[in-house]
Order: sequence, then C-alpha cells, then structure tokens
Amino acid sequence: MKIKFFLIILSALAVFSIALFCGPKWISPMGLSDMDRQILLSIRLPRVVVSVLMGMALGASGAVLQGVLRNPLADPYILGISSGAALIAAAGIIFGVTIFGVFTIPVLAFAGAMVTGIFVGAMGWKRGGFWPDRLLLAGVGLGFLFSALLMLLMSVSSNEGLKRAILWIYGDLSITDWSIIPYGVIFIAVGLAIAFSRAKALNSLMLGDDLAHSLGFSPGKERFILFIAVSLMTAASVALGGMIGFIGLLIPHIGRFVVGSDSRVLIPASALGGGMLLCIADLIGKSIVSPMELPAGIITAILGAPYFLYLLRKRDVLSI
Amino acid sequence: MRKTVLNKKNRLGFIVLFFLLLTLNLQLSTVSHAEAPGRIVSLAPSMTEILFAAGLGERVIGVTSYCDYPEEAKARTKIGGMSNPSLEAVLSLKPDIVIMTTNGNSKEFEARLHSLGIKTYVFMTRTIDQLPEGIRKMGQALDSEEGFDRLASSIEGPLSEYKAARKDKGLKVVFMLWPEPLMVAGPGTAIHDAITLLGATNIAEDAKIQYPKYSIEEIVRRSPDIIFVGAATGMDMQKKSSGLLERIAYLPAVKNGKVFFVSENLYRLGPRVIPGLEELAQYLKK
Repeated sequence: MKIKFFLIILSALAVFSIALFCGPKWISPMGLSDMDRQILLSIRLPRVVVSVLMGMALGASGAVLQGVLRNPLADPYILGISSGAALIAAAGIIFGVTIFGVFTIPVLAFAGAMVTGIFVGAMGWKRGGFWPDRLLLAGVGLGFLFSALLMLLMSVSSNEGLKRAILWIYGDLSITDWSIIPYGVIFIAVGLAIAFSRAKALNSLMLGDDLAHSLGFSPGKERFILFIAVSLMTAASVALGGMIGFIGLLIPHIGRFVVGSDSRVLIPASALGGGMLLCIADLIGKSIVSPMELPAGIITAILGAPYFLYLLRKRDVLSI
Repeated sequence: MRKTVLNKKNRLGFIVLFFLLLTLNLQLSTVSHAEAPGRIVSLAPSMTEILFAAGLGERVIGVTSYCDYPEEAKARTKIGGMSNPSLEAVLSLKPDIVIMTTNGNSKEFEARLHSLGIKTYVFMTRTIDQLPEGIRKMGQALDSEEGFDRLASSIEGPLSEYKAARKDKGLKVVFMLWPEPLMVAGPGTAIHDAITLLGATNIAEDAKIQYPKYSIEEIVRRSPDIIFVGAATGMDMQKKSSGLLERIAYLPAVKNGKVFFVSENLYRLGPRVIPGLEELAQYLKK
C-alpha cells in the first residue's frame, strides 16, 4: 500500500511539471526568455495550481460524500451546492454586479454555495443528526429549483453575449490568477484536514449506523462534521473555476479500485487522483485546438469515463 | 349498398377539399403577386437595423428580443431569440415575408416557415466588403430598391475611401468581446473585416470560429500593439476587464495605455459598420 501511495504522489508531481512546461507551446525550463517567464508565472502556474486544487477538492469531496450518503451515485454537486453557486454567480454576471471588484464572481459563487449548503443541511437535520436520504433529496430538490431559476435568468436576459459568458459556470480555469488562490488553498486545506481527520469515523459510517454506534461514533454528529468539510471544499472549488463534472463522481470509484475503500487512504488518493485528472484535462483542453480553448470539464469526462468503464468491467465486486 | 353511400360521402368530401385548396391557392398567389411586402418579420438584429435604415421600419412588425437598434425597433412585437424564435409568435403576426440571415438563424426554421407557406428572404452576405451588394439584392427581393440603394451607397462611399487609403500599418490588434472567460473576435466577423480593412492584423486571425474562447497565453505571446475592449449592454466593461488587464499589465499595449474601450457598432453586419470603422480608425491612427 505504501508503495502504491508513493507511486501516486510521484505521478502527481510528474503531471504537475508536465502541465507547467507543456501547453499550447513547450516552454523549456532551461533558458527562459522574459516572455516565457511571464507566461509561466502569471498564467500557467496559477492555472495549474487551481486545476490541482479544484481536482483535489472534488475528488476528496466525492469520496467523503459517497460514504456519508452510502450511495455510489453521490458526487459533490448532488447536494445542490454548486447549483446555488452557479445561480448567484450568473445573476451577478447578468446584472453586472462588480461590488467586490475582480473577486465579485468567486465571492458570489462561494456565498451562493455556502447559503445552499446551510439550507440543505437544515433540511437534512432531524432528531439531532443528519439523515442521508433527507440530505440527498433536499439537495436534489434544491438543485432542480436552482437550475430552473438559472435557465429562467438566461432565457430572459436580453444579451446574447452574456449567455456565452455564463458558460464559465460549466468549468473554466482561464479566469484564475494568483490573488484568489490563497483563499482557495485555505478553504480546501481546512476541508481536506477535517475529512482526513474523520476518516476512521467515515469508515464506520459505511458499515451502518448501528455498527458505527458500537464503534463509539455518533453517526449524526460525524455526518454533520463531514458535511461541513464537503461543503467547504465544493464551494471553494466552484468559486475557483465553475462546475467541473465527472471528477467528484468517478475518481473515488477509480480510487477504490486502485487503493481499496479504507477512507484513510481513499480520501488522499481521491484528492491526488482528482488533481491529476483535472490538471491533465486542462492541459489538453488548452493545447489541442490552440489558440482556442476547450473547457476542461469536457476533457475530464472523455478521458475518465472509458477508464472507469474498463475498470467496472474488470471487477466482479462493487462496493462503496 | 353501404359502400355506395360511403363513396358519395367521400366524393362530397373531395369536392369540398378541392374548393378549399383552390381558395387557398388563390390566397397564396395573391400574396406572391403583391408589390412590396407590407408585413415584415426580422429574425436578426442586423437585419432589423438594415430594414430600418433602408426606410422599411414602418413595415417591420416583428423582431427578435435582441433587436435593440434603432430605438423604434424595441417597440416591435418580440418573436424570441435568433437561434430559437417562436414559430407561433411569427405565425400569429401573419407576415408577408420573414427576413433571415445565414449568420445565426437556422435552416430548419426556414424549412418550417416554408412548409407553412410563409415566404422568407435569407441574407447571405458575411463580409463588410460585400455588404452594399447584399443590401441591394435584399432591396430587389423586397421591391424597395430605392431605400436600399441609398443605404448601400452610403456604406459604399466611405468603404471605398477606406480601401483606397489602406496601407499596412504593421499593427497587431486584438478585439476582446468579453474578458472572463476571454472571448475575442475571430475571422468571419465584421470586427475582423474592419481591422483588416484598416491595414492592421487581428492576432486571432488563425482562430477557426467567429468568437473563440481564446488563450491568454497566446495573447501574451503574440503581444498585440492595441487592445480593443468591446461594449456590452448594461455592463461597465472597464470594471469587468480590470482583472484580466491587471494580469497582463506587463504587456506593452497595457503599459503604454493602448487599451481602448469601444462601442458595439461593429457587432452586427449592418448600417453601423461605417461609424464602427471610423471609431477603430481613429485609434489606429494614433
């Protein structure tokens, strides 16, 4: 197991540096010109960092959420958090809100995500704890409502150009720069730390509430803590670069195939896997039709889905 | 016995149907023989602008919800968007002709209109260069040569002056339509035509689509001499683009104050391309 994990970390580092120096044009680490240095430091590096951060947040959130909800179909977006973020951010774009300057859209997205998170949490809370099915249904219900409101907003907006602008919601990493990264790092690091520290409790939750109880964990309370971790990570990731699909749903499954379903290993492995996948996907998206760009979210699914299906075929036993 | 009764009924039905078809046919032919169409629906903002500028504004009874120029156009009945107009809304206006463009309207919608017996005119021109000719052709189709000729000449005159005065300025230009995510004007747009016509180079000329989502890295690498930021309705573009411009603050164009905020004149291939050209020309001169 240690060797496997070491290999994952090693390949993550390799992916990181490949993404940095490859791209629409190869930049040689030896003998950087002034322009190369500027491109590297002000454009590529922040973008690679953001893709890794978002991928980590989504991968880890997915792993946690599938355990918390005991549902293999759960992903960070199923709780409606991202739809809330998208709705508020789109409203901000359409009405031309600029109150927070360059941070306006990320701040709005984060606020939308957190408010939705609190609302879903309140709906899922009953008799002193969180109930998976309640959370899930509240999230799905709210998600539908928010998507409908978003479509409504877009259909009545009278500017065709704005519709394209709103596409960032569906995953765009090109808007990232250094100024926002520290905030992203803080929220995602806190979320990851919480999730990792409760990994044992998450393991027990997956065995069922009764067993978790007998192992000394309070299921309601643990779910609450883990839910906060997921909300933080998801909100931060949507605020950084919009909604990137697939990673949160399938990376944890791929992770289970590779390292097993012990959360203490699965959470970090899913985080690293998610980071790597998004990093590679964004690299391909910005290079393949250069000077134009493709949204990374499309590439993640095209790359990841076949691999996932291959693993699915190969394995006999499925579990979360 | 029963068979013959049915047959009689059928025969009666056929006769009724025959007369119905006959009257319908007469109606259709009266429409197609009419002089200039009196009820026009426009399915594109650029078409609306041309119709109004050619003096047919009075007859335009339906427009898209994006038709916001000239001011009078806003008061016309809205029939939906360019790519998704409402068939019902168009039909209920009983148009004599529906004006469409190959740049944004769908062929399927045209086919639907035809199948319902509604005449269409499709504007095929896609470049500034051919705009006067396209406008004249449209005038012929609408039996209103005079107004359209006048409009065409008013574009042709300044256009030929620009063409005659054109010399390669060796300036690299980028026209940003939206900063985040970055969208620029690529080939096939009036903006690109205008930049080329004025003797400058659009750095996004190798993009394969009209409005590509463009790589910021490439902007830095190609380092434009001049950056234009286009307007968007109800948006403070200076504020909107401040983030992006900060990130590329080290580019000579940004350092030397060669970032210009311009109007939406060139967004549509219509009568406003000339003021749009004038606007860009003024900045390219400096």
